[in-house]
Amino acid sequence: MEPLLRAVNLTKRFGGLTAVNQVSLDVYRGEVVGLVGDNGAGKSTLIKMISGVYQPDGGEIEFDRQKMALNNPREARTIGIETIYQDLALAENLDVSSNIFLGREVKKPFIGNVVQTMDRRHMRRESATVLERLGIDVPPLLQQTRNLSGGQRQAVAIARAIYWNARLMIMDEPTAALGVTEQRKVLMLVRTLRDQGVPVIIISHNMQDIFAVADRIVVMRRGLKVGERKAAQTTADEIVSLMVGAEVVREMGVIPKALEGANGAPA
Amino acid sequence: MTTKEYEESSSSATTEPAAPTRTGLETLEMLRKVWAWAFLVLLIVFFTIAAKQLNDTNFLSARSIQGILVYATQIVLVGLGQTLVIVTAGIDLSVGWTLGLASVVAAMVMQALYASNVNPVLTIAAGAAAGLAVSLIPGWLNGWLVAKVKVPPFIGTLGMGGVVTGAAFLLSGGYPIAQQPPYLGQLGNGYLLYIWPGHGVNFFSPPDNLASEQLRELIPIMPNVVFITIFVVLACWFILSQTQFGQHVYAIGGNFEAAVRSGIPVRRTLIWIYTLCGLLSGIAGIVWAARFTSGAANAGETTTLTAVAAVVIGGASLFGGEGTIGGTLVGSLIIAIIQFGLVILGVVPFWQYVAVGTVVILAVIVDQLGRTLGK
Repeated sequence: MEPLLRAVNLTKRFGGLTAVNQVSLDVYRGEVVGLVGDNGAGKSTLIKMISGVYQPDGGEIEFDRQKMALNNPREARTIGIETIYQDLALAENLDVSSNIFLGREVKKPFIGNVVQTMDRRHMRRESATVLERLGIDVPPLLQQTRNLSGGQRQAVAIARAIYWNARLMIMDEPTAALGVTEQRKVLMLVRTLRDQGVPVIIISHNMQDIFAVADRIVVMRRGLKVGERKAAQTTADEIVSLMVGAEVVREMGVIPKALEGANGAPA
Repeated sequence: MTTKEYEESSSSATTEPAAPTRTGLETLEMLRKVWAWAFLVLLIVFFTIAAKQLNDTNFLSARSIQGILVYATQIVLVGLGQTLVIVTAGIDLSVGWTLGLASVVAAMVMQALYASNVNPVLTIAAGAAAGLAVSLIPGWLNGWLVAKVKVPPFIGTLGMGGVVTGAAFLLSGGYPIAQQPPYLGQLGNGYLLYIWPGHGVNFFSPPDNLASEQLRELIPIMPNVVFITIFVVLACWFILSQTQFGQHVYAIGGNFEAAVRSGIPVRRTLIWIYTLCGLLSGIAGIVWAARFTSGAANAGETTTLTAVAAVVIGGASLFGGEGTIGGTLVGSLIIAIIQFGLVILGVVPFWQYVAVGTVVILAVIVDQLGRTLGK
């Protein structure tokens, strides 16, 4: 099967620092890829090249067999690469459907096409449909987003991406700020996306989360890809030792407790 | 997880940071929404009783109600633009001075055309057009400074206020621009309807050749400037609450970064907002010129404060994202009633400043409290 995303030898330098060094990454339809690594390992830089925020200094990106030169996030989004950052980019003063349609509001004629109003009814109906499709239960669509829980907000951000035809979803620490129940719901949603054919790249510090959803785990350290494992064929111990480097583990004799299933560590 | 499980887990207590229950939040938001209305009613009751007791006047007579409304138009017109700006988490401190500049320019044009016997409609239209056109300039510059040069709105518009004041004084030479056509005053102080009980109804002007006691029998209905203001209010309400532009105003104030990332043309929208704010101050300037048949650089000296007060009292948040035209309307009425009521009670007028200043500070405190409690 052809990968949906094929990143080959991506490199990004900032001055003298090589943040990402010749990293290759394939993402296939119907899988969740966990991207892990310690702070400064280059995860975010890699993701930002795929989502068009940074332009690589070397290597190339193919998306759906097309070679891509993404100049900005909007171009990435146009072809279907959606990134959800921790801050979710929701306008908390607006309701759910306003957020799903943020910046892409549907209009209807009021005085011909000269004066147009927003077609709120249409936007609400569409929002309800996409939320239902993802199995998301969000309280009244008229609720201001700030009154929703962290997980529900996350769900709104995901629903927005899906509504606008995301074909690859990139999620940066989606569970970091959430309580346990909410974390589970978001992971559920990640699985739902995968099952509906939208592959997900998920960045997380939380080993439990990674093992709960990822089919494949890619480990980065100091700008390099140091390992790639099928989730079913590895252990948290192995992943952590790849993350921190085998020599550290050897020196200490044990896996540092703090890194084992480190929960909510700062990004 | 099934939908049912979702419902269960969302209703059960989770380890989420304790958010107030939904009903608690709703009550809080209800309070934030209705307190201005409640305050308005309280004020009316207070002044009605006080005016009756202290100097036996009827605060709620048709004449004084219309007087309050006429007085409120200036606050409302300037407050409308200020609402748009404050919803984006900005502020425009040049509005009062733009009002003055527009009144000066409009008055100068009308004075000149009147002196050369141009026809009345053309004179007023040209004066109004000139006043409105000039008001676009500081508005656009404010927007440009805020959106493109990233000057903080507070300081950018304060500076612009200084420039505009100077320009208005330079143009007018420091004097009011009087010698206006008489029909200007009729427009600014006239009514839409004049009911002469037992005789009939006249539009726009009282019946000709009435004796003074007959004039006293006349019941004037709907001041022209109130009528004009209603139209402007409806237009602004429509823009802010029904259009995509209005939605973008809220989005910018709610989460600037998200607005940018979602592809909203944030900078262009901001420039439009400040320009519109200038234009609305300009309209207020024309109305001022018509009411006082004059133009004066300092016509709107106190209006900046009263307009900001009206918007904030009306529930807009200086943090951005919140605020409605209806709220601003209520806020304007509250200010107008306080000022008018104090006059009727015979309080030294300087106390009005103290009252308005105090009320605006209180309103901001209520807003902040609401936020901390809501978090």
